[in-house]
Amino acid sequence: MRPLDPRLLRHARSARGYVGLTAALGILTAALVVAQALLLARALGRAVHDGATLDTLAPLVGWLAVVVLARAVVTSAQERWAHRSATRAVGELREAVVARTVALGPRRLAATGGAATVTLATRGLDALEPYFVRYLPQLLLAATVTPGTLLVVLGLDWVSAAILVGTLPLVPLFMVLVGRLTEGRSEAGLATMQRLGAQVLDLLAGLPTLRAFGRERGPAARVHALGDAHRRATMGTLRIAFLSGMVLELLTTLAVALVAVAIGLRLVDGDLDLVTGLAVLVLAPEVFWPLRQVGAQFHAAADGVAAAEQAFAVLDAPAPPTGSLPAPDLATTTVHLREVGVRTGDALTPAGLDVTLAPGSVVALVGPSGAGKSTAVELVLGLLRPDAGTVVLDSPGAPPVPLGDVDLPSYWRQVTWLPQRPVLEPGTIADVVGGASDQDRDAAATLTGLDAVVAAAPDGWRTELGRGGAGLSLGQRQRVALTRALLSDAPLVVLDEPTAHLDAAGEQVVLDAVRRLREDGRTVLLVAHRASLAACADTVVTVRTGAAVPA
Amino acid sequence: MSSPGVAPAGATGAPRGTLLRAVRLLDVDRRRLALAVLLGTLALGCAVALAGTAAWLIARASQMPPVMYLTVATVAVRAFGIGRGVLRYCERLVSHDLALRGMTTLRTTLYERLAAGRPDALVRLRHGDLLARVGADVDAVGDVVVRGLLPAAVAAVLGVGTVAAMCAFWVPAGLALAGCLLLAGVAAPALAARGARTAERRAVQARADMTATALGLLDDAGPLSVAGRVGTELTALRDADARIAAATDAGARPAALAAGLGQVAVGVAVLAALVTGIPAVARGALAPVELAVIVLTPLAAFEATGMLPAAALQVQRSRAAAARILALLDASGDPAPELPRRPAPGAGLVARDLACGWPGRPPVVTGLDLDLRPGRAVALVGSSGAGKTTTLLTLAGLLPAVSGTVGRDDDEGPPSPDVVVAALEDGHVFGTTVLENLRVARGDVTPTEARATLGRVGLDRWLAGLPDGLDTLLGPDARTVSGGERRRLLLARALLSPAPVLLVDEPAEHLDPQTADAVVGELFDAARSGRRAVLVVTHRLSALAAADEVVLLGGGHVMARGTHTDLLARVPGYREAIERETATRPGPPLGTDEGDTRAGDADAAEPADRDPVGGGRLV
Repeated sequence: MRPLDPRLLRHARSARGYVGLTAALGILTAALVVAQALLLARALGRAVHDGATLDTLAPLVGWLAVVVLARAVVTSAQERWAHRSATRAVGELREAVVARTVALGPRRLAATGGAATVTLATRGLDALEPYFVRYLPQLLLAATVTPGTLLVVLGLDWVSAAILVGTLPLVPLFMVLVGRLTEGRSEAGLATMQRLGAQVLDLLAGLPTLRAFGRERGPAARVHALGDAHRRATMGTLRIAFLSGMVLELLTTLAVALVAVAIGLRLVDGDLDLVTGLAVLVLAPEVFWPLRQVGAQFHAAADGVAAAEQAFAVLDAPAPPTGSLPAPDLATTTVHLREVGVRTGDALTPAGLDVTLAPGSVVALVGPSGAGKSTAVELVLGLLRPDAGTVVLDSPGAPPVPLGDVDLPSYWRQVTWLPQRPVLEPGTIADVVGGASDQDRDAAATLTGLDAVVAAAPDGWRTELGRGGAGLSLGQRQRVALTRALLSDAPLVVLDEPTAHLDAAGEQVVLDAVRRLREDGRTVLLVAHRASLAACADTVVTVRTGAAVPA
Repeated sequence: MSSPGVAPAGATGAPRGTLLRAVRLLDVDRRRLALAVLLGTLALGCAVALAGTAAWLIARASQMPPVMYLTVATVAVRAFGIGRGVLRYCERLVSHDLALRGMTTLRTTLYERLAAGRPDALVRLRHGDLLARVGADVDAVGDVVVRGLLPAAVAAVLGVGTVAAMCAFWVPAGLALAGCLLLAGVAAPALAARGARTAERRAVQARADMTATALGLLDDAGPLSVAGRVGTELTALRDADARIAAATDAGARPAALAAGLGQVAVGVAVLAALVTGIPAVARGALAPVELAVIVLTPLAAFEATGMLPAAALQVQRSRAAAARILALLDASGDPAPELPRRPAPGAGLVARDLACGWPGRPPVVTGLDLDLRPGRAVALVGSSGAGKTTTLLTLAGLLPAVSGTVGRDDDEGPPSPDVVVAALEDGHVFGTTVLENLRVARGDVTPTEARATLGRVGLDRWLAGLPDGLDTLLGPDARTVSGGERRRLLLARALLSPAPVLLVDEPAEHLDPQTADAVVGELFDAARSGRRAVLVVTHRLSALAAADEVVLLGGGHVMARGTHTDLLARVPGYREAIERETATRPGPPLGTDEGDTRAGDADAAEPADRDPVGGGRLV
């Protein structure tokens, strides 16, 4: 793991100022640590050795108090800004990841593990908080306090400095060594642990099913046995994982002990004065303290770094090419899909598909599940580029334009799409469906059966819909979306399985709506599962799967 | 277990004693816990002793005594230097083992109580993310031992020990240290916990908004792009994140104060020892060497209390997790006594004037009379939201009846799994082999029976395509199985159960019309064989001619009932629904321009494993 990835500073603006501030506070801390040690050693040394009185030592004690206060203020400031910057940086990364993922398109999301990106954006990036708040400050202290105190020790007593310098490289060396030795075993242990943990959860998740069959009592023993196996596997891993921690503590504490003994023996011989000895004794643990904290926070930070790396993988993916030509008027333009195919694994779904969407026509796509009907819709919408064939916009009096060269937002403004699961923005039902006048709206609602939904809603048209249409059933949401499609003036209407989730009565509504769209002269692309729906189309196109030609 | 770090983290919405109750459920072995505390105390005690001994050694050495007077101290310093690392390693092993044992106990208890408790608690468990959180919550409760209680106990024991040792040298310095330890070990963690609580409370809504907006954007990237709403949604996301940041800022103030307090406490302890010790040395009340010890020891004494702010946060997290686990246990109620299993071939199910609904809500269906005796095939139909599934859950005994009665026709009590089995659409496919998944219904299902039953529901081609046949491992919750395959696997499992009454929820979902009707037909055949009663909940009507009775639900009661033919003749809505549905009936000639070639072509184009039913294998 890279301790501080420069990409973090590039992608999260808030991180930059924070790293700068933390570095400055780190230098300040190093100075204060040294000052505190020297003041303390002087005051204590003179009191112990020369029997100095409190009056003579008052200035030293006073300065010591000032340094203590200053350290408290610095620590407070660090903590205060750490939380603030962590949340902001996480927010910035989240927004960037979400925006980039959306720009990459739905297919890319699915290909790179949609669930993983969702987890990353919602919870995963929060793991950066311990990285920012705990790990990063200690890392910078290790870069300031450790060398700073070491230099001061060197100036005071080169023997102690030699012991400390001799130990320092052993710390990473042993850590790496233990890490190498344990890597394989830990990974195997981790895999076993995760599998056993998943099995217990599987039994818990299946409890309702076991109970429905009256077989819920037996597996309790199995839950216990799995838990025991999980514990043994975990302990096997931990025994090794904790070794590195032990090596770190052993080396650093032992080094301090050796420094103390060496100082003691030279004091006896009179080779060293007490004030110097005390100063080195107080400084010696401070050399290692940040290193030990880095070690202690390493695992918490590693999660954050892993999350950040996942985020960078998304952010550094090349942006899809975007077209720049303004889209032609779809009311007069024909959309052609020519021999298009999209590769999924070894297959093309769809394969060699030809579709012509002439203005004012109703075209239905049919075919078995998984043949690529929804993929074909994504091709028409420009959300996906075909791996084979082309999507072309052909308008009268102009040369045909590939959809890939077109500025998609200008194209999308002329399209209404009703996906399988309608997406509704929050707002009142009236806001969501839109419409030029109340008459238009009511007429459309009567056609789609939304009037009954509105009549039953608590505030009629002014009923607030939650995000995603919360408060309405799937069928009701489909009626809202259908009404909106009717009321929009987009020349191209795409309906993806509009009869799913609807019973036979609901299906009639869709047929009526398609008829109305046709009467209005709009182009309609339908994905149809039911024959009744396909029957109302001018053209029916069967979507097929085919074997991919090796590239 | 009232230790300095735990006391302050008082109210997080969960009632007092929540965490204690949950920790009791861990059934922690007290001797092991005591051993862990002892090892932890000794480990950090080594660090404190190292500081004290080193101070003594150096101060004494400066008086230039013969070296032999220093031998004990030089050996002790080295021993403390080694002891710390080794003892800490042992402590970590003991405490983690302890916590893992506790988690196993808690998981087993949770399983046993849920398995034996009220059935409706389980049905509820399926909704929401409760289940997904159970694993993490158990871990969080277990973590409190290692990261919350243990550091607190170690800090308390070590603090008392160090203060006592300091008092032995010079009481004022000891008392000052005690005060500073309380500041760092009680006040600072309390502040840190308060900060975290403040931030969490203020951020709840913002976090929920952030998650919902981010999920919406990622799930519906396509529709939002086409609708031109990506910009608006990203602004909403930025706004939610800004509100989270503001909430964190509010919580960062106490946290910053806590961090500062920790630093101040160390400094004050050192200064107090210095300021009170120097005059004492002058007066001769304290040896000069002892002054070095009381001034330098506090520098190492705060390591244990330094862990307590984090411990307080852990206690808070664990308390929230404990509250969720206990709520789950409380909802499942006291375990019901285990009833002896009575295989009841020939038993049936009778409902009289039954009202069905979710507890605490008005019933969705009332006045239902139903006879499910072996040999009878009944269909329950009605529009979406008519209460079909709720009725099925009530008949299966998985929800309590709101009023009226449902029970065995031999008066042997309420519906129980030995009489009635429900195949629900959210039935669980376990992360084990196909055969073991079927054996959930009955432990002694043979491979031959399993193959035959999978064939009955049209899964024989699917089975043939599996790498290890019946021994193929299915992914957790069947991610390797398609929706239609999963549905039929669950159905096969229900068919294998020995219970005489079979309730099946929407067997037709996710299946093409022919397969759907064939599966429903297969279920009714199971009733025809005379040994069982079958009730099918469906919204597809065309296969129901084979049912003995069709019950049409609507408006909260039975709208009509009778045979399929009866209802066709009498109920206009039923007839219309059938007509619309049969319009979609003929499968193959779909469409116009290419319809005549479609069926053959589709078969040719399909990879063999894509559609195992292969166009109505059951018809």
